[in-house]
Amino acid sequence: MTIRPAIAAPPAPPPPNLRRALSDAPRIGGLGWRTRARAVPYFFLLPFVAVNLVFFLYPLIRATILAFYQTDGPAHRAYVGWSNFNFVLHDPDFHKAMWNTTVFAFFSICLQLPLSLGLAMLLNAKNDRLKGIFRLAIFAPNLAGQVFVGILFSVLFTPHYGLFNRFLQALIGWGLEQQWLGDPRLVMPAIIIASLWMYVGFNMIYFLAALQNVDQGLVEAATIDGAGPAHIFWNITVPAIAPVATFVVVTSTIGSYQLFELPYNLLANNAEGYGPNNSGMTVVGYLYQYAFHNGDLGTGAAVGWLLTFIILAISLVQIRVLGSVGRET
Amino acid sequence: MNFPYGTAPLAILLIAVASGAWLIAPRYASSPLEQRPPDLVYATFVKEHAEAYRPAIAKFEQKYGVRIQVQVVDQKALQDRLQSALQVGAAVPDMVELMYGTMGLFTRGPLADVGFVDLTERIHQSGLYDRLVTNRFSKWSSRGHIFALPHDMHPVMLAYRRDLVEQLGIDVNQLTTWDEFCRVGRQVVARTTAPDGIPTHYMIDLPTDGSDILRLLILQRGSGLFDAQGNVTFDSEQAADVVCWYVKQIGGEQRISFPCGQGQSFTLAVLDGLCLFYMCPDWRTLAIESDIPSVSGKMSLMPLPAWTPGGIRTSTWGGTGLAFTKQCRNFDLAWKLAMYLYYDPDQLGPRFAATQILPPLKAAWDRPEFFQPSAFFSGIQLGHAYAQFAPQVPQEHDTAYTAMAVNKLSEAFSNTALYYNSHGDRGLRDFARGELKRCADRIRIIMDRNVFLKESGSKSPAPS
Repeated sequence: MTIRPAIAAPPAPPPPNLRRALSDAPRIGGLGWRTRARAVPYFFLLPFVAVNLVFFLYPLIRATILAFYQTDGPAHRAYVGWSNFNFVLHDPDFHKAMWNTTVFAFFSICLQLPLSLGLAMLLNAKNDRLKGIFRLAIFAPNLAGQVFVGILFSVLFTPHYGLFNRFLQALIGWGLEQQWLGDPRLVMPAIIIASLWMYVGFNMIYFLAALQNVDQGLVEAATIDGAGPAHIFWNITVPAIAPVATFVVVTSTIGSYQLFELPYNLLANNAEGYGPNNSGMTVVGYLYQYAFHNGDLGTGAAVGWLLTFIILAISLVQIRVLGSVGRET
Repeated sequence: MNFPYGTAPLAILLIAVASGAWLIAPRYASSPLEQRPPDLVYATFVKEHAEAYRPAIAKFEQKYGVRIQVQVVDQKALQDRLQSALQVGAAVPDMVELMYGTMGLFTRGPLADVGFVDLTERIHQSGLYDRLVTNRFSKWSSRGHIFALPHDMHPVMLAYRRDLVEQLGIDVNQLTTWDEFCRVGRQVVARTTAPDGIPTHYMIDLPTDGSDILRLLILQRGSGLFDAQGNVTFDSEQAADVVCWYVKQIGGEQRISFPCGQGQSFTLAVLDGLCLFYMCPDWRTLAIESDIPSVSGKMSLMPLPAWTPGGIRTSTWGGTGLAFTKQCRNFDLAWKLAMYLYYDPDQLGPRFAATQILPPLKAAWDRPEFFQPSAFFSGIQLGHAYAQFAPQVPQEHDTAYTAMAVNKLSEAFSNTALYYNSHGDRGLRDFARGELKRCADRIRIIMDRNVFLKESGSKSPAPS
């Protein structure tokens, strides 16, 4: 029996004068080998650069210019200087939209993330055949999309007949006739509940992945040294998942400030999609109203820029704060 | 067979070939008339309209030897796509049915830039203006110019569960004013409230965000969002009256209403008799009939109670208008088709039987189909009942700021409702008046910003 070599024999070495031979090769189309070799990386970068120029940089420049115009659709525009920014910053509806979005973002982070982490820890606790099913079940709402979830919850929240109202009535004897989408005080809690159902599983996957990378050797060593679960959590788990937590907090905040489809569909039958007293109007909803409903793309662009700066500022603060927390722990 | 790239690519290729053939085959199998491009494209967002038009269009095609293509597109999609296409000059249908409240979106710029044909002169010259209920043109006009033909009247009555109303001993003939209606309503709610504090019957279905119902009540009271010149008017005394009345019916101890919503929850509410009375424009009668057949013979209709004794007993909710785009390839043919579909009395009788929508052509209301008793609504002659109130239907004006005004009216209303829940009747009217004024002023500021409306002539402002 002959044993075949596992690794194929190395290729024959190139002739020693190959480089010189190549550099002496006749020029094709006026470009020498060296030039072409230098151009190759740029050639590979070209699709990325082209796509970015067309779909990112050009729209960015256009949006910047547009923010200084008032438009009637894309066909007509008139230069108005800083008027769009001035109008938006003094518009009570924008303040309301900003407040609603901030409240949503705050509760999204304060409720969603602990819940996601808790579920991830439960699923990470032991090996179980059902783990995969639970993971899928908890993650699945995210696959439905905001439009579907909005429509679904608008039915669930129906006064008297909605499942959510009936469940509350059966559980605590209250809530049968609550108008979650008709009472301005209940609209934001309704959006947060729908959003919780949708995104808890999504963030849980990140935390689960992070938890699975926690060094078990450290956990075992700490256990031997007498550390309790709380000590292990704060001193080993939290520092280990801090980078992922930072990522989740920042992306959740950005996502929260971009919220639109969920409340718009949830409140489709309540005050033009913004809820009574604009209680479900978000910043992107405000942008949509001006840009696409009123046809003033200029004001829409101004709102877009303001939103970009707000998100940028909040994200930078979060990264800095959470980064320092991660370092301290 | 050995396909060089494997079985999966072969399967994909076969599916592609088969589906391509399936798409192309009917084109070659169809008649020569069907193969040629349509002479007119007619877009609508109402499936029922399209179905009702098809037999009439077939006759029209035969008579004139033309081909008409009817496209049914979702309302929101139709509006957004049409708006975008008109703005950038892309291809659009020749004739388009628009939903009420959307005309302003298409007429917000200078008049010359409106993407629809100005029909004012043609309507007056053809005598159409006098043959229709003239109030219905206001919805489809901008700055005195008519841009669409009204399809319907949409007077509003109250549909009610006759069996339950009779059981509770209510005489609907006595419910002539809203005050009387509410007095009886309070008795009904008090009598049917269970020990857990939840009534089994409410008097009327009223949404808590105001929305369309609040607007139709304000119209009935003699006001509206805008006047004929496009000025904001929802901070009027009449609107304040209605807002104060409305908030008392949806909250507090005197509450008589429940928000039944739409779709399934509305169906369940009617079935259960959760509310006794429902706002019912003509278009809703067919929806109730087809969605809730089990209440056939248990329903009936009555006119709206008036705000003051002897006052108007109806209002309006909804509407469709037919506009001709400036890209219309054959305007004369399109006009003929519109007259045939919308205002030919011979068409309108069977159309009413199929859709139960009252047309604005007064001459059509004498057709026998309008006097046909409805078994579902306890033998009421639907057409005749609605036609009786049609001439009273109030004018409603639409502008580019209608959606925003609706939003702001809802804001003022919601704040007033919150005030009523916490303060009761004390100072309610002043608060409502203040809120309406604040919200109306906001719309005025936003309108004032529009540099395109300021140049209300025919030219665009200096483009950059």
